[in-house]
Amino acid sequence: MVSRRKLAVSIGIVAVAAVSLLAANWAGAQGKASSLPRNQLLITSGTAWGAESNFNPFGGGWATGMVGLVNETLLRYDPLTDKYIPWLATKAGFNGKNYVIQVRNGVKFSNGKKLTAGVVVSDLKFGAIKTAYWNTLYKTVKKLKVKGNTITVSFKGKPSYIQWQNLMWNLPIVWPGQFSGINATNFTTLGSAAGWAPIGTGPYVLDTSASDPATGVVWQKRSAKSWWAAAKKVASSPAPTYIQDLVNTSNTNALEGLLKNIEDLNNNYLPGIQTLVSKGQAQTYFPGKPYDLAANTAWLEVNTAKASSPALGDPKFRRALAEAVNSYKITGSGDYDGITTVANQTGLLKVWKKWIDQKQVNKLGFKVADVTAAKADLAAAGYKVGSNGFVNNKDGSKLSLTIEVPSGWSDWEAARSIIVSGERAAGIDVNVVTGSQGQVQTTDRNQGKYDLEVDNAYQISDNPWTYFNGIFHLPIITTGSGQTFANYGRYSNPTAWAMVKKLDQTPPTDVKGRKTLLSALEKVELTQVPIIPLWYNGIWSQTQSKYWKNWPSSTKKGMHFIPCMWGGYLQMTGIDTITHIKKA
Amino acid sequence: MRRYFARKLITYGFTFFAAVTIDWVIPHLMPGDPILNLMSKLQIKDQATFNAIYNTYAKGFRSNLPLWKQYYYFWVSLFHGNLGISVSTNFPTPVTTLIQRAAPYTLGLLIPAILLSWFAGNKVGAMAARRKVLDNSVLPVSYALTATPYQWLALVVAWLLAFIFPFFPIGRGYDIGAIPQYSFTFFFDLLKHWFLPFFSLFLVYFGGWAIGMRNMIIYELESDYSHYLEALGAPRRLVRKYAFRNAVLPQVTGLALQLGAVLAGALVTEIVFTYPGLGFLLYNAILNQDYFIIQGVFLLIIIGVLIANFVVDIAYVLIDPRARIGMQGGQA
Repeated sequence: MVSRRKLAVSIGIVAVAAVSLLAANWAGAQGKASSLPRNQLLITSGTAWGAESNFNPFGGGWATGMVGLVNETLLRYDPLTDKYIPWLATKAGFNGKNYVIQVRNGVKFSNGKKLTAGVVVSDLKFGAIKTAYWNTLYKTVKKLKVKGNTITVSFKGKPSYIQWQNLMWNLPIVWPGQFSGINATNFTTLGSAAGWAPIGTGPYVLDTSASDPATGVVWQKRSAKSWWAAAKKVASSPAPTYIQDLVNTSNTNALEGLLKNIEDLNNNYLPGIQTLVSKGQAQTYFPGKPYDLAANTAWLEVNTAKASSPALGDPKFRRALAEAVNSYKITGSGDYDGITTVANQTGLLKVWKKWIDQKQVNKLGFKVADVTAAKADLAAAGYKVGSNGFVNNKDGSKLSLTIEVPSGWSDWEAARSIIVSGERAAGIDVNVVTGSQGQVQTTDRNQGKYDLEVDNAYQISDNPWTYFNGIFHLPIITTGSGQTFANYGRYSNPTAWAMVKKLDQTPPTDVKGRKTLLSALEKVELTQVPIIPLWYNGIWSQTQSKYWKNWPSSTKKGMHFIPCMWGGYLQMTGIDTITHIKKA
Repeated sequence: MRRYFARKLITYGFTFFAAVTIDWVIPHLMPGDPILNLMSKLQIKDQATFNAIYNTYAKGFRSNLPLWKQYYYFWVSLFHGNLGISVSTNFPTPVTTLIQRAAPYTLGLLIPAILLSWFAGNKVGAMAARRKVLDNSVLPVSYALTATPYQWLALVVAWLLAFIFPFFPIGRGYDIGAIPQYSFTFFFDLLKHWFLPFFSLFLVYFGGWAIGMRNMIIYELESDYSHYLEALGAPRRLVRKYAFRNAVLPQVTGLALQLGAVLAGALVTEIVFTYPGLGFLLYNAILNQDYFIIQGVFLLIIIGVLIANFVVDIAYVLIDPRARIGMQGGQA
């Protein structure tokens, strides 16, 4: 029999052991204040779903803010004005076939070392490592010539103008000394070891005592004089002394965090945000529909090479598939109810409006949400209705398709129901297949085992090339892991792929040439319908003004920035959000 | 005695081997490729770069090897105390680090909940067995607590004590903005976040222990030795004391087994309260197909259950004279 005393002692020992173990993780915090002053602390969430302990900005899983708050880029890109913003480079662009970078003077890293052209060249040269994400692009570089603060990059053959320019506003500039041990194996893992303090030129440094990988990373502001942009009056010194980015626990918690003013900026998808905005409990970039800017296009991926469903390889059938989907219902009801908008038939985002040949879209684009048109197209293409009320394959065999979305993605599941009912109304038998994200995307999508699948793989960027590279990429890999990063529809069109490559090699000065190529690629999309654009997914962003005000808004002049902490978005004016907010 | 323990050790060794093998096999049967999930963050635009990075990761995680080799290296790493590194949202943090961060929350939550509920449940159950009023009140409440699906009970507790009467916070181990450190302020903060998950677990466990003890006491009081003692004129208190000692034996077994499975017991609690312990870690690992975390956490569960069983074997020898005599070759 356990005595009360023994029991109390046991519990005591466990409690002390548990606290001691916890304290082992928090050894650096002794003697500090018990909490960060809330009126100096900006709390963000919606980006990290796991430990925020990777401080290597070259991989994909770095702590939120590594690129933008700590490590900065040579240029930034503002998708709302379609302009590049000189940042660590005062000037960077193509001069003929060479790319010339003018590295900014007077910039210092947080370790006191100067940013020089040599530093930038060292960073670019990390691209020689085969696991660097710009390795293929780096291999096209012929020479990196340094003269004073100027770097001239020459290329072997025609430069990849678009990809190189894209790299210039995405490549984080690091202190090369800290990465001297980098190699192909540790390229994305170096920087995750305990005690690693990232060194950057940005306005924030890691607060090692307040950061807790499981809860979130905490960044502490460098003094206004230390951050070059504030010192040179290129940007204001950010108002928050600390920024804490919380690791996501669940969307429900995120909603509660926002409503209770625990979080100031949240970048989760929160269904029902319209209600909160209308009640004044949260703010979004647009005060009304569509509430958020668009981040990417969600489309219906069609497995054009599925042998058991030959109709999917027929562009006329795909057009009918497209017309049967009621995208207006998807965006205007259910989960979305106005927070997304129907996509252009090319699938190109609104920020790429200048590249959309709208006349051509009007002429060749499929009719959105038109079941009658879908039925007529099916009949005209020779698809006859069978005894079950659905169309058969042209050879008379039964045609029954499946559609997949990852289980638990509630907004996509709601969209799936609308897609299925539209297709069935048009006479196309589509049935739901459920599966985890791993099953749907990695196994079925990548290995071509699906018929139809909702997807949104390609994000906003400075050129629609990234979008078309995703759709038309060749060759199609049929072995191993299959199609892993592009062309999940296995759409084989060598002409379109050649145009994508040519577009990349068309200089920025040749605007007409780029427009012609893009118009031709859009024509392929409109007539061949390799993918079916459905709606624009938002840059989900909700803010609170209890502690911080002056958030970006479509209605405020000079405040047209993206309020988002997602990877890649801080250099797309996310940092401007941070430098413009003020204490409430 | 030596033969007894040798036999036990062989049994445990075999069980460990089989359980760890299953622990390795199950995540590998899950559909999908975690490396591809990991690489989706990289926004790769060409095949050559994709192949280079994928192959490096595959080599690092040894997923490029035949399954039998992966299994072999799994055991080799295990004996070196290396549970691998997270292959999903926690990449590239070592699994041992993640477990070290999460384990205190789980242990600090479940061990007090189990021990206190065991102690209180046994006491109240024993008392209920001999008082009609208590029996009529405690028994139905205990049945209700035990029969209630835990997740529902937890939600009700959370709704009542965090929303209707907002005495306690839910979610996370401590307040956002707090700096983890040794201080009363921070300790109090931890306690605030600890209370609701602890309390909901305590309630459920309490019901189970109380019912068990109440039934056992009644059974023991109706047994021949109790009647014999009463017939001899032994005081009522002495009879109850003997009845309690016998009744507590199955409860000790139950306690040890529950302590052994302590890590597994945290799963639903930590999901409902988003409490950052091993259960929450495991839940996210399953969602993200993180083989190494799943294996690491299950390994702890396996070891915990085996140790607990072993402790029960020893404890029985110590507290039950019949077992002691039986082991020494005698007859009880």
